Amino acid sequence: MSAKPVLQKVRDAVNEVDFNRFRFWFQLVAFVLFVYGGYLAIDLGSKLPFFSCGYNQEGRAGVCYLLPLQHQLGRNWAVLFSIASLSILTGFLGFALWFIVLNKGWCGFVCPLGTLQDWISALRRRLGIRFSNYTHGQFAQLTKIKFVLLALIILIPLGVGGGFFSHDMSPPFCLICPARMILPIFTGDLSQFTIDFSSKTAVAMTALGISVTALFLVGSFVKKRFFCFFCPMSALHYLISKPALLKLKKDGSKCTRCGDCYAVCDMEIKEIADDVTTTNIMTDDCTLCLKCVASCPETGALKATFAGIPIFVSTEAGFIKRMNKGCQHGK
Amino acid sequence: MKALVSAGLGLLLSMGLVGGVLAEGVTDEHAAHATSEAPRARPPENATPEEKRAFYQKRAAERAKAEAAGEPVAPRPSEAQIAEWRAKREAREAPAGAPAADDHGHGATPAKGRGESGTSKSAQDKATPDKAAAKPEEAARGSGRSAGMGMRGAGGAIWLSDSPPSRGDASARGGMGGMSGMGGMAMGGERSGPPSKRLWLRAGNDPQKSGFAREDAEAESETLLVRPQGPLAGETLPPLADGKKNLAFEMPVQGYYRVYASSRKLQGETLNVSVAKAEIANFSHGGDEEERAQALTAPRILESAPIEIVREKAPDEKMFFQLKSGDEQAFVVLQKGLPVQGARVRFVSHEGWSKEAVSDEQGRVSFQVIRDYFPAWDDFKKRFKASYLIIAEANAAEKGVFKDQPYSNVRYQATLAGSYYPSPDDYRSYAWGLGIGLLIVLFCGSAVYLYRRRRVKPFQEVRFDER
Repeated sequence: MSAKPVLQKVRDAVNEVDFNRFRFWFQLVAFVLFVYGGYLAIDLGSKLPFFSCGYNQEGRAGVCYLLPLQHQLGRNWAVLFSIASLSILTGFLGFALWFIVLNKGWCGFVCPLGTLQDWISALRRRLGIRFSNYTHGQFAQLTKIKFVLLALIILIPLGVGGGFFSHDMSPPFCLICPARMILPIFTGDLSQFTIDFSSKTAVAMTALGISVTALFLVGSFVKKRFFCFFCPMSALHYLISKPALLKLKKDGSKCTRCGDCYAVCDMEIKEIADDVTTTNIMTDDCTLCLKCVASCPETGALKATFAGIPIFVSTEAGFIKRMNKGCQHGK
Repeated sequence: MKALVSAGLGLLLSMGLVGGVLAEGVTDEHAAHATSEAPRARPPENATPEEKRAFYQKRAAERAKAEAAGEPVAPRPSEAQIAEWRAKREAREAPAGAPAADDHGHGATPAKGRGESGTSKSAQDKATPDKAAAKPEEAARGSGRSAGMGMRGAGGAIWLSDSPPSRGDASARGGMGGMSGMGGMAMGGERSGPPSKRLWLRAGNDPQKSGFAREDAEAESETLLVRPQGPLAGETLPPLADGKKNLAFEMPVQGYYRVYASSRKLQGETLNVSVAKAEIANFSHGGDEEERAQALTAPRILESAPIEIVREKAPDEKMFFQLKSGDEQAFVVLQKGLPVQGARVRFVSHEGWSKEAVSDEQGRVSFQVIRDYFPAWDDFKKRFKASYLIIAEANAAEKGVFKDQPYSNVRYQATLAGSYYPSPDDYRSYAWGLGIGLLIVLFCGSAVYLYRRRRVKPFQEVRFDER
């Protein structure tokens, strides 16, 4: 009697899992937790590396780190350049500790705004409407926007603290972030859908915020993970992703460049299929959704590792099982 | 030019060439009341509040520098002079038909006129005290004495404020000046130290017009500070003395800090007991969460207080609570921790509008905070901090002895000041927000649809002749 070791059985079960279903339920649970967890007195702090929006005052189970970061950077310069600003460093350390666990997996599995985009895409798919793609030229240009936004997140609050900009511009990214307007709706709060007429700056910022939200809704409908492409949190993630525990690895020697991974990638990252030399294949646009691993037919070509331990590996058996279940990859 | 005229008039007055009668017609009261000294420099008439503030800060710095160097400096005007100027100014500013301010410069007089017209719709709420239960301040006015007990000032109730009286500059009041000057708020304290708070004891029934309260040697005073993690009975603060106008204390832990400035004074057979209370919420995003949770649920009453007003917290009130115009706010009047029924409680708004109600059997009374901030739209500030003042009064037929003098009844007065801000409903628009959003969704949706349609190539059947 030759029974497979238990550990191998577990690995096979994981590698052959119905990945789309697993991800759907994981995202749903995370969405409920971070949009309604506050009602259960859950509070995971204000250093979260994803859009658990602080403006969702009643239901949030924690606060996105970009909100306190902008507030801290917007302090009066006399305070900012004093010992009091040690809190900025400790805050960043807290954020980094959260981030290091799941790397950009926070985007692909936990971020409520990312989940919403996936749901909007699912609605489009059910309506039989095709999705849009960027050209390679557009992709190359647009991918830089998130870094520009990240720079503005730092510079504008500094300008506010220094008296160069109005306080009505603070916190600048939150004022234009779609999460500020959309997530509170799930707890019945529509108050963010207003134009603030108290000053010219406030009018401009709130109108810009509503415009970005409208673009988000239309964009997410025709383009998968539309907003993630411009997300400054994604840029920040990428800059500190080196020591993260969760990683996406590729073994180029096993890749046949069939292009399945590129076909299912919501972010249209071409390197995932074309690059057969890089081992650590996660790029700045990647959300670590791991759909590429699930769609890869070559055993061991793509894998997700946690602290160096493979936790989800592409296998031929897993690929066939998922195909037979009629996975809707790429639609 | 005007400054030159003022200086000239001041000089004439100092030479004794014109009498006090002429001084009534002088527009610049500071120059008019300058005596033997050279008139003090004043900011230009058309200066903005920020420019005026910068001017006064510079002048104070120069004075401090001169004093430190031992150089002669112009003496500050005395309290009596300031009170006299204020009384005259209020007499000039009093609306036609309204009674003029009395000798004590009761700032509440014109405000009361406004308040009564404003509260006519809720006349049932207004207390109608009979002569026997006349309001203490009215009795005090009648006797020509201040109702402020323990401390005296421009008249009216004694209360604790987080800002000093405005500089008598009418243009500063009603705008961002006055209460919002925050000259001594000092939240944040030293850069590396704990936050601190400064409070001023003021006298008057109008948050903007009240002046400094003055010491009264006949009264018995005590100031208590109750810290969040300190003794429930509080700790005694040193009394204001030697011309010191404010009291300051540090707030090293999070929570509600309460200050009680109480005084007792005998007037005839009546013992006047007044308690001016201030409650300061000191919370921050960081720090010990358990400490914060404890502070939010800790009791906020002083059981030894002869009378006090407690602002009732809403069940869902957060630590960074801000009262907005239009909100309903309840207060509870307590004596020794027990509710007082039938106390006359008056709400005075930033602009002096007032409304009076009587506490119920639970000592509770509720007011809707009115909107009384109406600047020109370009000057509108959504963070404008307006102040309100609550004054509660109750009489009791209690006999006793105070400083070896018997009394047959006690008149209690409690005050509590707070702040409120413009309601978001005043400056936020759903219609515009939703309208702009909908417009962009329709525009972008249509653009995507038309773009895609334009790229669809019409079906063209090509038939091959296979023969």
